[in-house]
Amino acid sequence: MLAFIIRRIVWTIPVLLLVILMTFSMMKLIKGNPFQVTERPVPESIQRNLDRKFHLDKPWWAQYLYYVRDTARLDLGPSLVQRNQDVNDVIKEHFPTSIKLGLMAMIFAIVVGIPLGVFAALKHNSVLDYTAMGIANLGFALPSFLVATLLIYFFALRLKDYTGLPTNGWEGPSSWVLPTIALGIYPMTYFARLVRGTVLETLQQDYIRTAKAKGLRWRFVVAKHVLRNSLIPAVTAAGPVLGGLITGSFIVETIFGIPGIGKYYVTAVTGRDYSVVMGITVLLSVIIIVANLVVDILYGYLDPRIRDERT
Amino acid sequence: MSEPEIATTETAPRQSPRGLDRPFMQRRAEFEEALARNASARGAEAGASLPRASLWSDAFHRFMKNRASVVAAVAFLLLLAFVIFVPWLSNEDPYAIDFSQAYQSPSWSHPFGTDGFGRDLFIRTALGGRVSFAIGFAATFAIMVVGIVYGATAGFLGGHVDNALMRFLDALYGLPYLPFAIMTLAVFGTVNFWTMVVALTIASWFTTARVMRGQIITLKQNDYVRAAYAVGAKGPRVLYRHLLMNTLGVIIVFVFLELPGVILGEAFLSFLGLGINPPKASWGTLAQDGYTAYATHPYIIVIPSICIAWLILSAFFIADGLRDALDPRTKEA
Repeated sequence: MLAFIIRRIVWTIPVLLLVILMTFSMMKLIKGNPFQVTERPVPESIQRNLDRKFHLDKPWWAQYLYYVRDTARLDLGPSLVQRNQDVNDVIKEHFPTSIKLGLMAMIFAIVVGIPLGVFAALKHNSVLDYTAMGIANLGFALPSFLVATLLIYFFALRLKDYTGLPTNGWEGPSSWVLPTIALGIYPMTYFARLVRGTVLETLQQDYIRTAKAKGLRWRFVVAKHVLRNSLIPAVTAAGPVLGGLITGSFIVETIFGIPGIGKYYVTAVTGRDYSVVMGITVLLSVIIIVANLVVDILYGYLDPRIRDERT
Repeated sequence: MSEPEIATTETAPRQSPRGLDRPFMQRRAEFEEALARNASARGAEAGASLPRASLWSDAFHRFMKNRASVVAAVAFLLLLAFVIFVPWLSNEDPYAIDFSQAYQSPSWSHPFGTDGFGRDLFIRTALGGRVSFAIGFAATFAIMVVGIVYGATAGFLGGHVDNALMRFLDALYGLPYLPFAIMTLAVFGTVNFWTMVVALTIASWFTTARVMRGQIITLKQNDYVRAAYAVGAKGPRVLYRHLLMNTLGVIIVFVFLELPGVILGEAFLSFLGLGINPPKASWGTLAQDGYTAYATHPYIIVIPSICIAWLILSAFFIADGLRDALDPRTKEA
């Protein structure tokens, strides 16, 4: 098991290098020198100094190595647009908000989605099952911008007198409610469908019939045998889902005007702040890679067959 | 059953012991003919005809039995018909700006109402659907081509090539979807139909490639592949006829899984203001238009979003039905 974990961790290093290389080369492919974007041309001597300071006079592979070195030191370089601001400052300022939003959406998705899936499966082909799956299908299909907008329209505009929820912003718990639901609905439906499927599968296993035949109370069978065996896929799916929630809240953050990393990313792209774009992309990639790593290790721990198959 | 009927059944395969080198369609036609002859012969005896049994007609019958998938297919075709025919039949000008007509609620002359510039939303939704569908189909096609070539190469060649290609794919899985597409668009510097297609393709071909590789590796172990090699078939021929042809079912299913994903991806980008430029519109741009006026005219964002949801759900259930229809092994009867 330890060898598997070590191998798996070592393998993430070339993956990270490759991801940084791809991000780096895409940024290099974008035409134009970042310091010539402004209307006022920079004097040649200053240009040369700037080039030297940011290693722009070196060949691309040397620049890449510099970037990898700096990234390893957790220094993502200065912002190209915001004076006196590093990419690190941007991340420190905006990322905690995204993490918080992602975690809350995750909790919402698990707390609502998993029970929904379990009950739908236990009452298979009942009205409850159809209703739950109808909701899950709707949540799966409706684009997040519609869900977010409708939530604002109904709960922050029409029913404002009853709910007292603000339409946007990120100040205090009342402003967290709608973004959390808007972001959490899609993973909620994902968990509901996943868990419903695995519970239905588990219910057909022989050991469930044995447990029932032994005369155990149904509630006990569900808690002890059905849930334990059918929640493993949900546990392993949780990693990538959380990674996706933290890194994928562009739409929700933009609509609710939440000062998170996704909203800033969109601003940085339209403002051509490419060092910020690159830094955030690398950060998001690292999160996704780490999430996948954790899941793989968890999976290897839960299911020994995986260990030998994967590197 | 009488003697000659059995004979007809068995002569067809026996006549062509080395039938492997004749075109697939010809052999299939012969085979179907033999089956049909057999069926009608037996049917004449039993007083009823048996259905012909080819893969596609079989799959079609199985698909038609799945009610949800048939409804989904009809819904999908309706949406496609709406998108294709409404701009032809309507004489509304989708770009004519008339502020006296701004923000009209849905009515007989404007079934979906009008937007802030007084443009008819019924025809704009249809035209936006054309853009969304065009990008969706083009990107899905590109994803299939890239994914199939990459996955089939890895799966067919195996060994070090497979290892290297899959490691590279693993690394790509670490890239976040939207930022990756956004960066690709930034590299191009402009957003138009083709750059959008390329950006969406680059960001989403991985799964198809991975699934194709798995399919090819599984199929490679079949006896008929060994048999094909044994009768002297060369690698490319085996790859094309025996491996790729057998993945057609999976490929068709994946088309319906990728299409809504790509259209949704385009809608997200357009919604964030990083998509196709106005006055051209996709469903995402229309939704963004609607978002700016949601407080007073919420139906404007609802219409394009419903179209997207309609597409996602119908494509999903079609894919579901196709999977069961094309691969009956996955589902017990």
